[in-house]
Amino acid sequence: MLFSSIPFLYYFLPCVLILYIIAPKKLKNSVLLLSSLFFYWWGEPRYVILMVINIVFGYVCGLLIEKFRGRAASKWFLTLSVVVSIGLLGYFKYADFLIDNFNAVTGLSVPLLKIALPIGISFYTFQLLSYTIDVYRGDVPAQKNPITLAAYVALFPQLIAGPIVRYSDVALQLNERTHSFEYISLGIRRFIIGLAKKVLIGDAMFALCDVFRASGDKSVLFYWMYAIAFCLHVYFDFSGYSDMAIGLGKIFGFDFLENFNYPFISKSASEFWRRWHMSLGSWFRDYVYIPMGGNRVGKYRLVLNLLVVWMLTGLWHGAAWNFVIWGLYFGILLMIEKRFLAKFLEKNPVIGHIYTLFLVIISFVIFNAADMRGIFSDIGGLFGAGGIPLISKETVYCLKDYGVLLIMGIVGATPLMKNIALKLREKKESVMNVAEIVFLAVLLIMVTAYFVDGSFSPFLYFRF
Amino acid sequence: MTTKTKNIVQTAVFAVLLFALAFACWFGRDKDFSNDERRVLASFPEITWERLLNVEFMKDFDTYSQDQFPLRDTFRGVKTAAQFYVFGRAETNDLYMAEGHISKLDGEASYPMLDHAAERFQYLYDTYLADKNMNIYFSVVPDKNYFMAESNGYPALDYAKLTGYMLDKTQYMEYIDIYDKLYLDDYYCTDSHWRQENLPRIAAYIADKMGVKLDAEYTENVLNIPFEGVYVGQSALPLKPDTIVYLTNEILENCIVTSYDTGTAKPGVMYDFEKAEKGDAYDLYLSGANPFVTIENPNAETDRELYIFRDSFGSSIAPLFAEGYAKVTVIDIRYVQSAFLGSLIDFTNGSDVLFLYSTGMLNSSLGLR
Repeated sequence: MLFSSIPFLYYFLPCVLILYIIAPKKLKNSVLLLSSLFFYWWGEPRYVILMVINIVFGYVCGLLIEKFRGRAASKWFLTLSVVVSIGLLGYFKYADFLIDNFNAVTGLSVPLLKIALPIGISFYTFQLLSYTIDVYRGDVPAQKNPITLAAYVALFPQLIAGPIVRYSDVALQLNERTHSFEYISLGIRRFIIGLAKKVLIGDAMFALCDVFRASGDKSVLFYWMYAIAFCLHVYFDFSGYSDMAIGLGKIFGFDFLENFNYPFISKSASEFWRRWHMSLGSWFRDYVYIPMGGNRVGKYRLVLNLLVVWMLTGLWHGAAWNFVIWGLYFGILLMIEKRFLAKFLEKNPVIGHIYTLFLVIISFVIFNAADMRGIFSDIGGLFGAGGIPLISKETVYCLKDYGVLLIMGIVGATPLMKNIALKLREKKESVMNVAEIVFLAVLLIMVTAYFVDGSFSPFLYFRF
Repeated sequence: MTTKTKNIVQTAVFAVLLFALAFACWFGRDKDFSNDERRVLASFPEITWERLLNVEFMKDFDTYSQDQFPLRDTFRGVKTAAQFYVFGRAETNDLYMAEGHISKLDGEASYPMLDHAAERFQYLYDTYLADKNMNIYFSVVPDKNYFMAESNGYPALDYAKLTGYMLDKTQYMEYIDIYDKLYLDDYYCTDSHWRQENLPRIAAYIADKMGVKLDAEYTENVLNIPFEGVYVGQSALPLKPDTIVYLTNEILENCIVTSYDTGTAKPGVMYDFEKAEKGDAYDLYLSGANPFVTIENPNAETDRELYIFRDSFGSSIAPLFAEGYAKVTVIDIRYVQSAFLGSLIDFTNGSDVLFLYSTGMLNSSLGLR
């Protein structure tokens, strides 16, 4: 089930809220677990069992790791937990990618498995891994209550699109959390803003990308519009989902960590990754990079560590070479920055902004390319390769059609509006409080209008 | 308002909006049909284990929840208004506004559709017309986008190419070009159709090309029903409705109209006020959808007959040909199989035949049977 849909907003969420409010404190996690399983089942009825098996396995491993703490068996159970979790993720997500490449290298034709990717498997696998690793490290005690652990892994606000919430961050709240109007109000604001970011801007940017892909009248300017639109789409879609997750979390009394912090205002690629999908970056840092030795290794090992981490970061996003290249692209950029550019970029923030935006835009063109050839043709298009014109008729029309939304997207990707709102709040708190309520109500109505119009489908022959 | 109060009010406003709409979704009465979209709305989907497991139920429920959402058309209007006035979009759901008109973008020419239309015309020609020494004419009614899309910076169909393609495939007909005889104001502001009050000059031009002189004077009568064209419903915006004008004179008043909408002859009407009131006001002209209608002019100074193969654009112009013919037979092969026409109509030797179709119909011709 998607947050950005009528079934979620006007059927599922009200029911869950009613059940959650009327449930006694000790049953609130059970309500969350059952509703989360239903939420997952709605989109993936066949794979709900897989998630439950994963949870049960993680639960048992956690208990056994703790039971045998200090002994070799503890490590064995951790290894088992990691191997099984990664194995399942690998099977469902990467098997066909591996077979495809194996066939390409050997010339064989091993049939593809054509397995549908279970929704959210990358997120809940990483959450479970963080749990068992943290238990092994002694950072958190193993969770004795299977319902509590299952509620953490399956918690619907963050189940299908993150952020990757670590068990250690919410362990206390799983057992004891407070509910207040302040929290609920913050949650409502965050949820509605996230919904609006995704539906009003993110989806429109995606539609522009679709128009570009279908166009037979491309131009250099159109390629740049597409590249910017795709960056904005990914940002508003993904950060919108994170906002919705954080907002829903607050409504139910949880504090999830931030996942985005205006990444497009970064002055370097390193800063970009400190602001973009922060929960994934920190997960790889804490569970892959540092265990591999982190910075405290020799020069060549450090390069290898970084390349491995960034290749895995790329692969996490999808089983295709363009994702691997995308990850390595950032890995190499970060190494170059660290070795040569860090001080220069810090001293020249304007150049830093332009440099970062340019490289990030290129990176997302790689990210969205259909295949390796697509990477070259799309990047080539940005620089006029193939003799395409600088501007075309359809480009002008698209600029007219999407120009305002592009500007809104660009402005909305910076903290400008937030800062203005904060300044105004300092001066006119009372007025801004009223304005906020009205603004959020209008946004909710607008988003609902976009959902409702989703099935607009006039009978073709009305006009004849 | 203090922040503490705001938190309470904000929670209350959200709860009221969420639960009011949710309860209306859960307990509201389902509707069967959308007048604005002219289509049947989704009903509650069938539940079976198989449909649950293959997610078909969930997909259908998604559509159902959208179709049956309370105040659906109001919400659609909010979206259209937001698209145009908040996000500065040039179009929404392909609808756009320019020069006081609302219209729908054409998209690309569909050659399979054009081929289908040409194939149906060829069938009619081969089966009923080729051996009857008839004068066969073909005219294409441009969509109003022809007059407003490109000039306002919108993508437009290549009308010359589309028409040229059809002409190549219908060389047994003589083409009557009316593109440069029409103007944007000849079309309704909120609908795709043309205005009857502006058609006498077009009818006269076409008739002239067929060797018939039309010069009758008409009285303009205003239909007392506001005409909210099809694009009003589709945009769901509160646009100013059009006015329908219908033409009368002594010739038309004396004509005998026979309708065959049920397959058998029954008295028909030139202007169907009942249909105009109950359904689409444009159905005023020859009662709208009809397999075929005959208009007999007992005062005609000729015994010449005219057969018009047409789409809905033909409804409003067909009566204006009555002046020059003893009988006009108006045929719509969307509502009758072409193969059955022989048993229903006697195609008379030496008559005129006019194929009059809009670009929209030609480019989306699957309905031609």
